[in-house]
Amino acid sequence: MALTIYTMERCPFCERAKCFLYDRGIEFKEISAPPGSREWQEMKRRTGGESLPQILIHDVSIGGYAELVNMEATGELYEKLGVPEMGEERVLYDVIIIGAGPAGLSAAIYTIRKLLKTIIISKDIGGQIAWTTDVDNYLGFSQVNADELVSKFEDHVKKFDVDKLIGVEVKTVDLATRIKRVVTLEGKSYYGKTLIIATGGRHRPLDIPGERELVGRGISYCSTCDAPLFEGVEVAVVGGGNAGLEAVIDLMSLATRIYVVSLLPISGDAVYQAKIRQSPKVEIYEEWQPIKILGDTSVKGMEIRNLKSGEHKALAVEGVFVEIGILPCSDLFLDTLATNQKGEILVDPECRTGVAGVFACGDVTTVPFKQVVVAVGEGAKAALSAYNYLMNQP
Amino acid sequence: MTDKKVKIYTTPACRYCQQAKEFLTRKGIEFEAYDVSKDTEALKEMKQVSGGARSVPVITVCDEVLVGFDRSHLEKALECLSSP
Repeated sequence: MALTIYTMERCPFCERAKCFLYDRGIEFKEISAPPGSREWQEMKRRTGGESLPQILIHDVSIGGYAELVNMEATGELYEKLGVPEMGEERVLYDVIIIGAGPAGLSAAIYTIRKLLKTIIISKDIGGQIAWTTDVDNYLGFSQVNADELVSKFEDHVKKFDVDKLIGVEVKTVDLATRIKRVVTLEGKSYYGKTLIIATGGRHRPLDIPGERELVGRGISYCSTCDAPLFEGVEVAVVGGGNAGLEAVIDLMSLATRIYVVSLLPISGDAVYQAKIRQSPKVEIYEEWQPIKILGDTSVKGMEIRNLKSGEHKALAVEGVFVEIGILPCSDLFLDTLATNQKGEILVDPECRTGVAGVFACGDVTTVPFKQVVVAVGEGAKAALSAYNYLMNQP
Repeated sequence: MTDKKVKIYTTPACRYCQQAKEFLTRKGIEFEAYDVSKDTEALKEMKQVSGGARSVPVITVCDEVLVGFDRSHLEKALECLSSP
């Protein structure tokens, strides 16, 4: 056996190192060496180390888990083991960006212009802009079709030499080591000296009975997409912020009646409020709470409750559009990065996460005001921070 | 309606529909696209094959009906095209 690893129980990095080796099909000999044991003495003698795990290849000490990951990134590991690399071409990126919404794409423009070798890995392009029709508040465009804006972002990035993996989901990330590793659902690994997290947000669900069962059968999170399917029927929109009011406007020319249900008094922009309050089709329920979605195979109604009086009411609607804000897509990082109660990643003014070489920007972070223009600015900041970090590395 | 093996029901402002179509085009797969906001026949058909879906895109591949665009699901469904 070419590789020997000294470990002990309850040692997280021992576990990680072993998983790392298992994942790659690298055989190893494990020696349990709790402090004070004979094996511990042997480990100290053979490796000069004072901590676990300690790894040897052909009797030569290479260090711990961090060194193992670094050696894989450079290809040295396979060289030392005398086995061919596993299939894929191994590239070490300066920057890996996860996410291709406004924040991620903006970050890419900045890293590429600093001549950093960059890859973008993302499920889709455009992020949450995909959910809207028009963007009216982006500087330089008094009104731009959301599709067009995303295409412009995309074209801008295409002008530069950047690797893009779109339609690819990330399964795990390894942030503890100097070289960061990103593993996709298909099991491919990508290595970067820095990582920029721009994974954005997803729709917050109502979390009430009937909702999950009827998604796509009357429950919708994209009014732009689905409004045309509700022509001539009654619908409800849950949420009184801008997204909610935009949904109402999308539906105004199609549905026969629109109930707006909001836990809080309507808070969307005055321009939108004026528009919807004028419409005879719109009925507003402020400080009412959705309790239950009615219907077996399709939405037949929604039960709501008045927060003050406790009165219940059933709205006979065929559609419910949910626009009650977003949740951060931070599941991958909850174990390793500090987040707030909502799960948003804590960042300092320079988009640093507290883990060296790992930056975050846009809607996945604690930075307030989830706006395209804010995300674009934060993306630029994260990229420049990553650049500064790389310049200060030995 | 045609008998192409892949059909996609869409609305004009739906970016996921757009992305799904781009995905199919990139893979070189022929498909028939219907705009259900204008084509009531297609809307009827979409609701019928999907058991009452009210969300786009709806994509039919061979005998499978997918509501929404999920790349990995679609990719899996498309396997039926390559096997006889």
